[in-house]
Amino acid sequence: MVEYILLYILFAPFAGALALIFVSNRQPMLVRGIAVASTFVCLVAAVYLFYAYDPVKGGFQFVQKFQWSKELGIALHLGVDGIGTPLVLASAVLLFTGVFVSWHITDRTKEFYIWLLILAAATIGVFMSLDLFFLYFFYEMSVIPMYLLLGMWGSHTKKYLEMTDPEGVKLRDSVGFIFNFGANSKEYAAMKLVLFLSAFAVVALMGILLIYKYSGLNTFDILVLREQANLMNIPALGTTLDKIIWILVFFGFASIAPIWPLHSWSPVGHAAAPAATSMLHAGVLMKLGHFSIIRVAFEILPDTTRELMPIAAVLCVFSIVYGGLVAFYAKDTKYVIGYSSSSHMGYVFLGMAALNYVSLSGAVIYMFAHAMATGMLFAMAGWVYDQTHTRDLPSLGGLSNKMPFIAGCFVVGCMASIGMPGTVNFIAEVMIIVGSWNKYPLQVIVAVLGIVLTMAYLFNMMRAVFYGPMSQKYSHTRDAVATVDRLPLLVMIAVSVGFGIFPMQLYDVVRSGVDPLVAKITYVAPVARTDDETGSIGRDPAPGADRPPLLATHPRPRSLTSYASREHE
Amino acid sequence: MTFDLTISVADLLLLLPEIFLTCWLCVVLIVDFSCPRLPHTRLAFLSVIGLAATLACLAWFDATHVSGALFGNMFVLDRMAIFFKMFVVGSTALVILASMQYVDRFTLFRGEYYFLVVMSALGMMFMASANDMLSLFVSIEFSTLGFYILVGYLREDLTSNEAGLKFFVLGVFAAGLLAYGISLVYGETGKLVFSEMTPTHTTGTMIGFLLIFAALGFKIGAVPFHSWIPDTYHGAPTPVTAFLSIAPKGAAFAILIRLFFVALASFKPIWVLLLVAVSILSMTYGNIVAIAQRNIKRLLAYSGIAQVGNVLIGLAAGTKMGSDAILFYLLTYLFANIGAFAVVIAVAQAIGSEEIDDYSGLNRRSPFLAFAMLLFLLSLAGVPPLAGFIGKLYIFIAAVNEGLYTLITVGLINIVISMYYYLVVVKKMYINEPTDPSPVSISGPMKAVVYIGLAGTLVIGIYPQPVIEWVVDATLMFSNMVGPSAVVTPPLPPFGG
Repeated sequence: MVEYILLYILFAPFAGALALIFVSNRQPMLVRGIAVASTFVCLVAAVYLFYAYDPVKGGFQFVQKFQWSKELGIALHLGVDGIGTPLVLASAVLLFTGVFVSWHITDRTKEFYIWLLILAAATIGVFMSLDLFFLYFFYEMSVIPMYLLLGMWGSHTKKYLEMTDPEGVKLRDSVGFIFNFGANSKEYAAMKLVLFLSAFAVVALMGILLIYKYSGLNTFDILVLREQANLMNIPALGTTLDKIIWILVFFGFASIAPIWPLHSWSPVGHAAAPAATSMLHAGVLMKLGHFSIIRVAFEILPDTTRELMPIAAVLCVFSIVYGGLVAFYAKDTKYVIGYSSSSHMGYVFLGMAALNYVSLSGAVIYMFAHAMATGMLFAMAGWVYDQTHTRDLPSLGGLSNKMPFIAGCFVVGCMASIGMPGTVNFIAEVMIIVGSWNKYPLQVIVAVLGIVLTMAYLFNMMRAVFYGPMSQKYSHTRDAVATVDRLPLLVMIAVSVGFGIFPMQLYDVVRSGVDPLVAKITYVAPVARTDDETGSIGRDPAPGADRPPLLATHPRPRSLTSYASREHE
Repeated sequence: MTFDLTISVADLLLLLPEIFLTCWLCVVLIVDFSCPRLPHTRLAFLSVIGLAATLACLAWFDATHVSGALFGNMFVLDRMAIFFKMFVVGSTALVILASMQYVDRFTLFRGEYYFLVVMSALGMMFMASANDMLSLFVSIEFSTLGFYILVGYLREDLTSNEAGLKFFVLGVFAAGLLAYGISLVYGETGKLVFSEMTPTHTTGTMIGFLLIFAALGFKIGAVPFHSWIPDTYHGAPTPVTAFLSIAPKGAAFAILIRLFFVALASFKPIWVLLLVAVSILSMTYGNIVAIAQRNIKRLLAYSGIAQVGNVLIGLAAGTKMGSDAILFYLLTYLFANIGAFAVVIAVAQAIGSEEIDDYSGLNRRSPFLAFAMLLFLLSLAGVPPLAGFIGKLYIFIAAVNEGLYTLITVGLINIVISMYYYLVVVKKMYINEPTDPSPVSISGPMKAVVYIGLAGTLVIGIYPQPVIEWVVDATLMFSNMVGPSAVVTPPLPPFGG
């Protein structure tokens, strides 16, 4: 029974969506009940998975393989490693909380939950796919629900609604409208998101097809491809083929991450989306990009990754600075959080680019941590929007009198997003910064300054929304008092703070996934804690190795051979 | 050249589906004449029963691996022919089910409508088996004859008349090209049967084959032979448009596969370039022009042009896998397209309009129709987990194995372009509010068609393996595509073996 745990997690939301088709919209409580039940199953199974995953054994666990098409070499091959497990957990948490966050949606409730469940299930599917075909399958499948969720239940920006003059109306659906920043309709946001993601998805698909062809193995199985595919040193277009594939895969998937300069769809999409969709979008959908890069580019083309990953190290600086600055000047709550997400994804790219044990683990933990922090912020921005019907920062203010609970949670959310000690974000940020310092000191300096910038815009927003004088038109607003309204925030805070205080299980799980990968890419043995516990910091364990990580408190000595034997797990 | 026209009963059994359908066709016609007061829906059900029986017979042939050739290889019955016959018969049955309500609009000759549809299907069944220049010509013209009448069936409607005339003039022109091409090829090679041809690279053969390709390109509506498509699709009665957009394309691809893979196997380096060019033009032109359409039938017409470009990728691959992918893709296209047209017919029946703007708020008026249309359009766009995605991927895998990178790149870009205009329709249906919120009802047979389309689209998308196995078996004869004579007609069968 337990070996099918991945199938429960993956198919519980699908089953929920299927069941919802047969329910009438006139019974909203039944609709919500089914959504809660299916996501609860998903969450419980994901929590079980997280604690049942054995970090000592490492490798891919709970593997399921079903032949899907022999002719095309496709199998539904599911399995999680230390990188996929926390992300599955994050998806399940955000899906479960998202159902509660969207409790008050009354327009076509059933359809909303159907698309939300499909979106989340597809996302979870990517995190557990060990087959390139299914990775792409679920990846692309997660895009279309976004269109409907944004278009049907999303919201326009204030500037857009103010454009009432005839010329403005004409302007807002024209091509020139693309340059009209901050004044978009939800339809525009939805279409931009889908076309952008599809366009880059097919770039990645081209890379996948090239891997399929040149490996000559007639299979899409990642585990087979990473062992047997030899894609190196094939000349093509004036360079080598592996570089072309890597570039295709990297930029194809990085667009959803989103790396600068491919980010422009993302804040627009965040802003237009309903709260639960923003949560899933910023919380887990964006991580599909990093995850797919790790799963495809890192696993199958390790040597090319070592060679070309500096590209990400350059671009991540622009992500951090650009996203942060725009967030600082944005006047719309969701734009601030959306651009802050773009900016924070730069940290993940920095951690990935540095390619050592600590920084990559930090990047993975950061993905998990950011999912919780940004989920909270979007949930609360959604609450404020529902109450005040505006996202415009200058017109908000003083809401802490009316909604003390939300204001309190918002402070926690901001703290988490900044990376205060006590939240899991802190651990992730420190690991990224410490791990990347040797290789990219300049980027690390920018990243640290980026944290200061994060504080600036988040505190700014907190002040603008919750403190200062309150306009009388908001006197009717109310706090989240009902259990269903408080539960999602409390769950996310609990996860964020809980892992912030007790991070070792998370750390162990992530390290068990990261270690063999980094070992394969860099040929540097992972650093184990030395026996004397005291101060071996600074001693190189192997020639050319990075400095031993400050946080490498892993109790078990590890060697490359033990990873090699574990690989086949 | 001599024809051996002595045929045994066993040979005649190979023609059983066609013979049966011909007899059934006569029955339909006689019933129509002798019972003028009979509601035409009875005739529709009668035709569907005959088509279903034919389909069952073909399925039996397929299961028992019946194969053979008749009339000096003019007519072959191999598994690919059976596949395309089932394709044609199945789509015809669905079209008849979808047109039952629509036929009320015809003021005269309601019964003959079904006769003509089934007659065209009969012609296309022969196209699927054509293995010879003569049978190719005769069967194509036979099937098109019915369409000439069907397209102009709305006698009071000027657009329908215009459509009929356009289709007729251009169709006859294409027939002339075909005849001229055949005569050139025959003059150069002295052979008519595809598998016996050993064409040489002479100017005459080249021009001849180009002309034949142009005529077939007209049938499938590939750029630059597409100019009749938008107006004809727009003006023709919608069920006829649905029929025209599916069945003749399938039958013509059966001929194209035989022509290129068998007769022209030695010309492969040349025709790959030709097909790559036509494919790129079709996909790009179809998709870009579709963006500007305001009428759903015209949109589907242009999207059909683009889809044909996609299928041609598989033909350009020129391998066994390419032919598998073509068959698979056409099947996914059948379900998605017939479903989309069924929704168009149902909506037009209820609101009397085929403009995309009038689809506003369909989700509120009929959640079922909107959801079905959403899935059909997304399948046409190639979004997982729908059948169209697997079809596109299959085609791309076949092409990447042959190294057709330019073609794949253009194909992938076109997926994104097509996503836009399909999503515009989705936006109207789901996001816009309806001007008239009255619910849209749907009749029983139409619902059946939509359900069949949905089932095909979802099942093939989620578990395509049985269909993949079927198409792989259907084209086994191309598994050793090496030279011009690679395909030998299978040995004459002990029946049922």
